[in-house]
Amino acid sequence: MTLPEGFLSYFNAWEEKIGAFIEFKRDPVSPCAEERGGIPSLKGLPFGVKDNIAVKHFSLSCGSRLLENLRAPYTATAVRKLEAAGAQVVGKTNLDEFGMGSSTDNSGIKRTNNPWDTSRVAGGSSGGSAAAVAAGLVPFALGSDTGGSVRQPASFCGVVGLKPTYGAVSRFGLVAYASSLEGIGVLSDTTARCRAVFAAIRGKDPMDQTSQDAPDSAPPLYGEGERSLRKTIGVLSAETIAKALEGETAAQAATLEEEVRRGFESAKSRLAGLGHTLLEVELPSLKYGVPAYYTIATAEASANLARFDGIRYGKRPDWAENPDDLIDKARDAGFGAEVKLRVLLGTFVLRSGFQDRYYLRAQRIRSGIRQNFEALLGNPENNGPCDAILMPVFPTRAFGRGETSLSPFAQKAADLYTCCANLAGLPALAFPVSIEGGLPVGVQLLGRAFAEGTLLDMVESYEQAYPFPRPLGYRAFWS
Amino acid sequence: MYQSFIGLEVHIHLVSKTKVFCGCRAAFGDEPNTNVCPVCMGYPGVLPSLNIESMRMGCIVAKSLNCRIPEKTWFERKQYFYPDMPKNYQISQFTSPLGQEGYLDIEGKGIKKRVRIKECHLEEDAGKMIHTGTVSLLDYNRAGVSLLEIVTEPDMETGEEAELFIQQLRRMVRYLGVCDGNMEEGSLRADANVSINLPSRGLGRKVEIKNLNSSRFVRLGLNYEIRRQGTLLDAGKTVTQETRLWNQNRDQTEQMRTKENAHDYRYFPEPDLPVFTPDAAFLKSVDDALVELPVPRMQRFEREYALTGEQADLLCDEKALADYFEEAVGEAEKCSMTKQDGAARIANWLLTDIKHILAREGIEISAIGSFTLTPRRLASVVAPVAQGQVSMKNAKQALETAILEDRDPQTVIKERGWEQLTDPAKIAEAVQSVHAAEAETFAQIRTAIAGGNRKRQQTLTAYLVGKVLALTGGRANPKIVGTQIEALIKQ
Repeated sequence: MTLPEGFLSYFNAWEEKIGAFIEFKRDPVSPCAEERGGIPSLKGLPFGVKDNIAVKHFSLSCGSRLLENLRAPYTATAVRKLEAAGAQVVGKTNLDEFGMGSSTDNSGIKRTNNPWDTSRVAGGSSGGSAAAVAAGLVPFALGSDTGGSVRQPASFCGVVGLKPTYGAVSRFGLVAYASSLEGIGVLSDTTARCRAVFAAIRGKDPMDQTSQDAPDSAPPLYGEGERSLRKTIGVLSAETIAKALEGETAAQAATLEEEVRRGFESAKSRLAGLGHTLLEVELPSLKYGVPAYYTIATAEASANLARFDGIRYGKRPDWAENPDDLIDKARDAGFGAEVKLRVLLGTFVLRSGFQDRYYLRAQRIRSGIRQNFEALLGNPENNGPCDAILMPVFPTRAFGRGETSLSPFAQKAADLYTCCANLAGLPALAFPVSIEGGLPVGVQLLGRAFAEGTLLDMVESYEQAYPFPRPLGYRAFWS
Repeated sequence: MYQSFIGLEVHIHLVSKTKVFCGCRAAFGDEPNTNVCPVCMGYPGVLPSLNIESMRMGCIVAKSLNCRIPEKTWFERKQYFYPDMPKNYQISQFTSPLGQEGYLDIEGKGIKKRVRIKECHLEEDAGKMIHTGTVSLLDYNRAGVSLLEIVTEPDMETGEEAELFIQQLRRMVRYLGVCDGNMEEGSLRADANVSINLPSRGLGRKVEIKNLNSSRFVRLGLNYEIRRQGTLLDAGKTVTQETRLWNQNRDQTEQMRTKENAHDYRYFPEPDLPVFTPDAAFLKSVDDALVELPVPRMQRFEREYALTGEQADLLCDEKALADYFEEAVGEAEKCSMTKQDGAARIANWLLTDIKHILAREGIEISAIGSFTLTPRRLASVVAPVAQGQVSMKNAKQALETAILEDRDPQTVIKERGWEQLTDPAKIAEAVQSVHAAEAETFAQIRTAIAGGNRKRQQTLTAYLVGKVLALTGGRANPKIVGTQIEALIKQ
C-alpha cells in the first residue's frame, strides 16, 4: 500500500495554496478503489473529516483556539462506518469555529482558500472539506450542515454536497452547534461517490437516539434506474423570491448576483432538457427562514457550547482565582468574536419571560416552513405534486476578502436558500452547474424526507450529461 | 397564630446499573473518575442515550405515588454553570415530567393526611467538587447517575408531617427496590420550602431550605423556619423570598441567596433525545413491578394476623422482613398451626432472637431473604414448640445448630434426639431411678407437707423434676415428670 505516484508533491503544492487541512497523516494509503457490481467501493480510499467530527487520536479543534490541542478520545459513528467499509481517515479539515460562518475565515486555527481562486474563500463552514475535494486531495470528505455548511462551500468550490435528512446519519461524534438542525454531510468529487459514502454512513445508531433507518416507503438508494428518472421539479423563480422577500431589509443580500442567476437558469433548462417537468412554486414562509434559523441555532448553541469551560479539556488559563474565574478566562481567551456573538444571542432569546417572543415563535415559523414544503413534496407515504425543489444555494459565488468580502450580516441573510432544508429536516443535494467568470456556481435539489436516492438519481443523470468542472491543475488520483 | 405551608422536593438516586444517559456503572463510591466516559464527562460530540431502566424505575415510583404517566414525556436542558456539571446544563424534565398529579397518604404518630404530589421527573446528577487548600478537585463518578425528583404541593403544615412524609417515602422506595434510601450518603436528599400567613390568606412568601440531609433535620429546619418567620411577622416585618441553608451545628437556617440572585435556567427542550412515548409493554412492565406498599401492608398485618400496631410497624420496616414473616406464617400453617398463633409466635421470634442473631452474624435485615435459616426452617422449629414436642431451650439450641451447619433444624432435633419425651412409661423409668437415689428427699417433702411448709415442698419438688430432666438430657416433658413425682410423693 503506497500513495499514488506523484501524489505527495501534488498534495503539498495544493495544500500550500489552499490550506484545507488542520492535520494531515502522510502515512501510505491504498489508492485503488474497487468496484462491486457497479457500486464504487470505498475500500482503500482516503478521506478528510471536518475538524468538528471526532476521530480517535486525531485533532478535534472545531476550529477553535480553546480546543486547539484536543485529541478526540473516541470516533464518530459515521467515521467508524466508513472505516469498516475500508476507507481511511487521512486528515482533519478546516472550518469556521464550531461551524459558525460561511467562509471558513472564522477559523481560529488557519486560513483556507478557494482552489479556483486562492484570493477567495472556500465557503463555510465546511470550507476545508470542500477545498480538499475540489483540489483532488481526497475523493471525498465529511462535513456538517447546520444551515448550509456543506452545500454552500460545495457550491463555492464546485463539488457535490449532500445534506441528508435529519436523523438519517448518526450525529454521534459531531460536535454540536445546533442539535435540532444539523447533521453530518458528504462532500465528494462525483455523485456516485456521494451515494456510496451516504450508503455507508446512514442508519439508526444506538448512540444517537434521534437517528433512524429510512422507512420502507422511502425510495431505494440503489436500483430505481433510468425508468423512473422523469421527475417533477418545483422551481422558485427569481420573481417569486423577490415577491417573498418584499419589504425585508435582508432581501438585498439574498438577491442573486447576475452570474448565479445565469447558472440557475441554465440548470433549469438543462434539467428540463433531461426530461424533467418544471413547476413554478411558492414558499410563503421563506422570508422568515433566516430569523427563525438564527434564533433556534443560537439558542441551542448557547447550551451546546456551555461545556467548553477549560476544566476537563481544552486550553485553560495558567491561573484563576476560583472556578468561576477559570471558566470566564478560558471562554474569553478561547472563543472567537462570531462564537461569542452567537452564544450571547442564544442566551438572550432563551431568557425567562422572553421565550414566547423569540424561541417559541421561531419554532412556530419552523413548523410553518415544514408545512410549506410538505404541501409541495408530500411525505414518503403520500407524495405531493413535486418530487424535488430546485433552489439556488447562495446568492453569490465565492466571495473575496477585505473590499470584496460580504459583511457578516449579508452572509447571514444569504443563508436563506440553504437554511430551509435544515428547518424542515429535509435532504438537499448541491451540485455544480456552471463556471461563471472563472468561479463555480452550484444549485441544490431538496427532496422528501429519506428520498436521498431520488435526488442522487437526478443529479447523477445530470452529471452524465454535463460532467462537473475541475479547477486548473486538478488531477484525479482515485477512480 | 399563622397557617404554614410546607412543600418538599425529594431527590432519590435510582439504583439502575448504569447511568441515565450512558453505559457507565452507576457507582460513585469508587476511586474518583473511574466510572466515567466521554458522554458523562461532557466531551465534545457525544450524545445522551436514555437508559430505559431509569425511566421504568421513575415510572414505578410515580405510579406508587398515584401519579398519572402522560402519553408523552420528554426532557429539557436546565442551564447553569458549575464545575461539577460536565455540560454546564443538566438534562432534566420541565414541561412534561414522567409522573404528574398524584398523592401520598401519610399516617402515623397521630398524623393522618393526604399530601398531593405535583410531579416526579427524571434527571441526571452532577459530580462532586472537593476543595482542599488552594486546589479544587473534581470527581465525576456521580455525574450522570439517575436522579428522580419528587415534588409535593405545599400540603404539609409542620416539621413533623414533613419528617413523616420523608420516612414513608423512604420506606416506599426501598420497598420498590429502586433506591437504597440512604440519606447520610445522599441517596435520598430533600429540599423544603415553607411559607406562613394569616389563616385563610393563602400562601405566604416562600423560603427554600437546603442541606437537610436527614429526616430529623427536615423536621428541625422547618420548625425553626416557621418560628423565625412567625417572629418576623409578629414584629410587623416581611419575610424575604430566599434560599437558606440548614446549619446542623448551630441548629438554625442561614441565608444562602436571595431571589435577585436566583438562576435563570433558560429551559428549552433537549434536542438530543426524542420524545418518550410509553408503549403497552413498557406500561405493563411498570405495573408488574408495583408491590403492596408499607402503610397498607401494616394495616393488613394488624387485621389479618392480629398483630399489634408496633409489631406490624417493625415487621413492615423492611420489605424483606415482611416477606419473610408472611412466608414463615404460611409454613407454620402447613405444620398445622393456626394463622394467628403462628403469626404471634413467628413475630416474637423474628423481633427478638432472629434479630439478635442477624445482628451478631452481621447480616442486614434487608438481606434476610438469603439467610440460611429459611422461613420454612424457622416454622419447623416454631411449630413443635407450640405443639409441646420440643422444649424452648432445645428449640433455640436446634436453631443455632441449624444456622451454624446450614441444615434443617427438624433434622438436627431428630438426630440429636431433642424431641420431648412424652411416653409415660419411658418417663416413669427415669422417675423410678431418681426415686431410688433420692429416697431421703422424698421423705423430706412428706415432712414438709405434714408441717405445712409449702415453700419447702415446692423447692424440693422442683429439685426432683430437675433431676429427672437431667437424666433424660432435658427431653422429658416437665409436666408429665411433675405429675409422676407428685404421685410418688403421695404413695
